[in-house]
Amino acid sequence: MTKPTDLVQGTLDLLILKTIALEPMHGWAIAQRIRRVSNNVLQVNQGALYPALHRLEQQAWIQSKWGASENNRRAKYYSLTKAGQKYLQAEESNWERLSSAIGLVLKAV
Amino acid sequence: MRRVRSISNWLRSLFRRSTVDQELRAELSFHIERQIEENLAAGMTEREARRAARREFGGVEQVKEECRDTRRVSFLDALLEDLRYGARMLRKNPGFTAMAVLTLALGIGANTAIFSMVNALLLHPYDFHGLDSLVRIWETRGMEEGYDARWAAPADAADFLSGTDVFESLTTYRDQSFNLAARGSVESVLGSSVSASFFDVLGKGPALGRGFAHNEEQPGFERVVILGHGLWQRRFGGDPGLLGRTIQLSGRSYTVVGIMPEKFSYPVPSELWVPLALTSAEKEDRTQLTTMALARLKPGVTPAKANAALASYSLRLAQEYPKTNRGRSATALPLQKELYLYTLPLFLLLQVAAVFVLLLASANLLNLMFTRMIGRQKEIAMRATLGAGPRRLAQLFISETLLLSLLAGIAAVSVSFWSVRLLRTSISVEWTKWVPGWDGIQVNTAVMATTILLAVALGFMFGLATVLYTGKVNLSKTLKESGAGSLMPGRRRLRSSLVVAQVVFALVLLVSAGLAIEGFVRLAAVYEGFEPGSVLKAELSLPESSYSDATKITAFYQQLLHSAAALPGVKQAALSTNLPASNVDNEMTLFTIEGRPPAKPNETPSADLLTASPDYFPALRIPLMAGRLFSDSDSGSVDRVAVISRSTADRFWPGEEAIGKRIKLGAPDSNDPWLKIVGIVGDIRQNWWNPSARPAIYRAFSQSPRDAMTMVLRVDRNPASYAAPLRDAVRQMDAGLALAGINTLETEVVDSIGIIRILGILMAVFGLVAWLLSSVGVYGVLSESVAQRTRELGIRLALGADPRDLMKLVLGQALKLTGIGLAIAVPISFVVGRVMASIIFGVVSADLTVLVGFTLLLIAVALVAGYFPARRALRIDPMIALRYE
Repeated sequence: MTKPTDLVQGTLDLLILKTIALEPMHGWAIAQRIRRVSNNVLQVNQGALYPALHRLEQQAWIQSKWGASENNRRAKYYSLTKAGQKYLQAEESNWERLSSAIGLVLKAV
Repeated sequence: MRRVRSISNWLRSLFRRSTVDQELRAELSFHIERQIEENLAAGMTEREARRAARREFGGVEQVKEECRDTRRVSFLDALLEDLRYGARMLRKNPGFTAMAVLTLALGIGANTAIFSMVNALLLHPYDFHGLDSLVRIWETRGMEEGYDARWAAPADAADFLSGTDVFESLTTYRDQSFNLAARGSVESVLGSSVSASFFDVLGKGPALGRGFAHNEEQPGFERVVILGHGLWQRRFGGDPGLLGRTIQLSGRSYTVVGIMPEKFSYPVPSELWVPLALTSAEKEDRTQLTTMALARLKPGVTPAKANAALASYSLRLAQEYPKTNRGRSATALPLQKELYLYTLPLFLLLQVAAVFVLLLASANLLNLMFTRMIGRQKEIAMRATLGAGPRRLAQLFISETLLLSLLAGIAAVSVSFWSVRLLRTSISVEWTKWVPGWDGIQVNTAVMATTILLAVALGFMFGLATVLYTGKVNLSKTLKESGAGSLMPGRRRLRSSLVVAQVVFALVLLVSAGLAIEGFVRLAAVYEGFEPGSVLKAELSLPESSYSDATKITAFYQQLLHSAAALPGVKQAALSTNLPASNVDNEMTLFTIEGRPPAKPNETPSADLLTASPDYFPALRIPLMAGRLFSDSDSGSVDRVAVISRSTADRFWPGEEAIGKRIKLGAPDSNDPWLKIVGIVGDIRQNWWNPSARPAIYRAFSQSPRDAMTMVLRVDRNPASYAAPLRDAVRQMDAGLALAGINTLETEVVDSIGIIRILGILMAVFGLVAWLLSSVGVYGVLSESVAQRTRELGIRLALGADPRDLMKLVLGQALKLTGIGLAIAVPISFVVGRVMASIIFGVVSADLTVLVGFTLLLIAVALVAGYFPARRALRIDPMIALRYE
């Protein structure tokens, strides 16, 4: 994941939004969680993660707040905005449709 | 809601930059710290944990830059940052900066200066409301009329308004000169008599007082006057109490009813206005074209439509009044264009030349910047490595060039305040007062805005060019290279084509400049047929109030001539209706040759008509070719005589004796008396815009006196010193009279082509700039390419090559580039020369001396530009050259 293409970038956005939908998280935790949940398949590179976070914040899908981390350090916590929640729902169903469509094509052939 | 949040984020990143940056740093270092902790927990040593965390994270600076990019208030934020950086770079290279700014300022400044003229004279000659819809209307009588002969018959003009549906309003007026007596001195003032609707049609009323009422157009009620602002200030000290008081004009009392606003002067150079009071007989008149007409088009009516309406209406008038209106047609021309029929091409030429100077300067500057880019390859590669994307780099270059061009624009504007004033004041006011808008030649908002816009556009262009030129930088290769870095062949070709372009622009400009200067010299010599040296001229107009008939007028002028001729040192004193180089066309007349009626009405011969006293010809040294001049015995109404010019004789009496033949003015049915031709004199070219001398007929002053005459004195020496004695002579005869336009004829001649002189000087300046810029450009590129070959030349020398052969090699390259440029430029210059010849009288297109001369000059520049760098390279010790990087 060096230079994310549009598809990859959109996917990363979706993963980030989904991950912080449960609770506010800082960047490192987001990367860890994505890796763990995907059974180490999805390794998020920091070079892609932080620009994506900043972009999402700039677009106001997510918001950030400084807070104390689990190791008692100051960390920047990201959480969904209202608009971000709606956006996530829309993107999730988009993704479902797309992946099931791709699945159908792959099975059919 | 989302948008508001988004904008507030932007604003935060824009104005709280340091906070945002600090937060970003904190965020990223937290990430790394957290990873280190994780690694430690996994059992790594402290060092391993740190290294692994850093390795995994990758380039911190790159991530930072990318995060910043997503937050940037797109262009503006980056621009501010880049401008700061650009300013630093420019300060670091003061030599380059000065050279670039100077080059560009020359190019922009040339355009600013010319545009300020074009803006004032062509785009805003008058500040009338709705200038677009104002048209001048005049009639032509089926003969070649001069530029100034734009008159209409009063009754026809009135019919144009009522009989067609294209004009909203129409007004008529006439030039008139007045002898203004105020505060103990008499001055001749040019003014106009105008219809009451005059100021309404123009859409400009008096600043003080009122305009003219309709009843003041009746004879007997017309003793009211509106003064121009300048005259009011000059002669009456700007006294507002003047309103309602009376002043003396040409021996009559007029009540001042209004003062016009500053800068108003229409028709130029009027300084006062009185009502045009025509008798009912004059109003009905269609025989003579005696008034000028100005109309405002109805909304939506184009000049073309107005002309079509006038054409069909003229036909109707011709049917209705065949005796007066047959063969007569009418024209409408937008007021804005009217005065510039023959100066417009001059300004266009200058503007095109200025654009060429700018193109040349741009080519030069591009070359300069490309040279600099070679030196900056490493810096660029470093930036790319540190995370600057291609867009970011492009922004950087554009901000730098933008800064350069803005500096140049500012320099150009600052200098133009001075240069434009110089332009404006370099021509005598006696000439410029006839040019509407001349005083408006200044660096105003429009000119400044145009200049800055031009500068910004150029900055963008240069920036983009640099970006394209730099292209994709090969990071590792550039960083590893130790030398100054060399260019790919494609890049070198681009630079070579810039040199070629410079040669092309330079030659075209130089040839145009050469032709313009030659044309100016030629025009200065255009006034052949008379000798202006040692001649003083002055104009005089006798008021109708005290000089009501021909006898009084003749008596006055005869006595004036007598006393002027008696002044010591005066050889001849004479009168004429119009002098050569007056920039006023002669009156034109139709005439009929006895016993030779024209086959068709439109074949009636025509010629310039002048009235002169006997000594006029010797005073101007106009040679007598045959017959005799006027004599004092040519008086009274019997035996009326005429003198004709040689071209009149050649044209109408080819191979025949003209002397003794009789002609009369007007068509065959005119009631004018027959004039016997008694003499033939040499031709005179009246004005610089006349391509050749036109046929002329002179009448004797004693037989057809005019109230307004121009007086000439030929004296032994120092003609200017006769102004005071001549004034005294006039004052002694009539204290209410004032001479106007007192000047030596030599000055008049020089002033009359003032505009051409300016053109010549400007073109010369442009040519010089072109030559300098192209020399610098050619030299720069060649010397740099030689410097790059120093190593190669060193090897060749070491291997025993003859230095002379190497010199030939380098010079050959210089000549090749110049040769290509010349091959393109010579045909273009040829075409440009032809175009110039078609728009400027006196310029000869196929002037090979100019073309060949400048071609050789440019070749010489190329040889010099190649020789010095080559010699330097060849003198170097081969060992040093080999090590040379």
